[in-house]
Amino acid sequence: MTLWTINAAGRKEFCGGQHARELAAQAADACTGFVPDDEDELVSDDLRTCYNCRYRRWTVASFECMLAAII
Amino acid sequence: MQILVSIDDTDNLESRGTGELAAMLARDLTEKDWGSSEPVTRHQMLVHPDIPYTSHNSAMCFAAQLGAAYFNTFSDYAQEFLRQESAQGSDPGLCIVDLEKLSSPQEFIAFGYKAKSIVLTKEEAYGLARRLNIHLSEHGGSGQGVIGALAGAALRLTRNDGRFRGHLKIETDGDTVSVSDILQKTYVEIVRSLDGDILQEHEVVKLGNKVKAVLLEGKTTLPVVPLTVAPGETARWQTCAKEQFRRF
Repeated sequence: MTLWTINAAGRKEFCGGQHARELAAQAADACTGFVPDDEDELVSDDLRTCYNCRYRRWTVASFECMLAAII
Repeated sequence: MQILVSIDDTDNLESRGTGELAAMLARDLTEKDWGSSEPVTRHQMLVHPDIPYTSHNSAMCFAAQLGAAYFNTFSDYAQEFLRQESAQGSDPGLCIVDLEKLSSPQEFIAFGYKAKSIVLTKEEAYGLARRLNIHLSEHGGSGQGVIGALAGAALRLTRNDGRFRGHLKIETDGDTVSVSDILQKTYVEIVRSLDGDILQEHEVVKLGNKVKAVLLEGKTTLPVVPLTVAPGETARWQTCAKEQFRRF
């Protein structure tokens, strides 16, 4: 399955939505830029998952990866 | 006087979170002997393409008992604090509500709930703040954070929204604790299941990693879920997983 798409804002958005636990963990495992967010913003008990990354920006249906914006 | 202090949009992708700044401000209020602060709560607002936010569009708020003579002192301090501590590129907003002077709590609360469902403007926020005698100020960038700051205070006033910043420290010998101990050793007022069952003091809860409380129906609440009881174990409940906290 393709994990990412480019959304209307031109940013990289996760295709799995907000509840694809395994896919989000796989994506984070494959990423060299993962950094856990503040404890208050962690939403998964899997620590290393894009859902817990400080560079994810929530959208209505999923999240955008903002890592490219800061590199 | 009883006040609510709420801040929003103080961070960027690399900086400290808004919750940390709110906690610092709450601590400073107490340490300077201006009054005493309560724990910080996080309030989630609408996620929408037309709303600029860093990563989650949430505001942070705390309640405090403030000496009446210190309102202006604290307000000046909080404004300077945000100017100094907010991250580059952020759009910080500050809201301070003197609850005795708040002229229409119902209208205020309605604004908070609106911020969860529709896109609001700075003009609407400033207009409401003026009408209801609320301090609302912006301290850099676009100042868009005033919307979330105002909404965060309104949602805290409901006492039925948001989760507390940080996690509870509950001393216990193992991984279980009685409801009685939770109520005595923390600021939790009630232990309640996600289905609404209120636990009695003799009941036992299995603690998960980093236990959090939420503000629910006027009470600081520890939410729990039923646990399949293993032979020899007394805990019939366990604290919620992070995924289950998303609803708060």
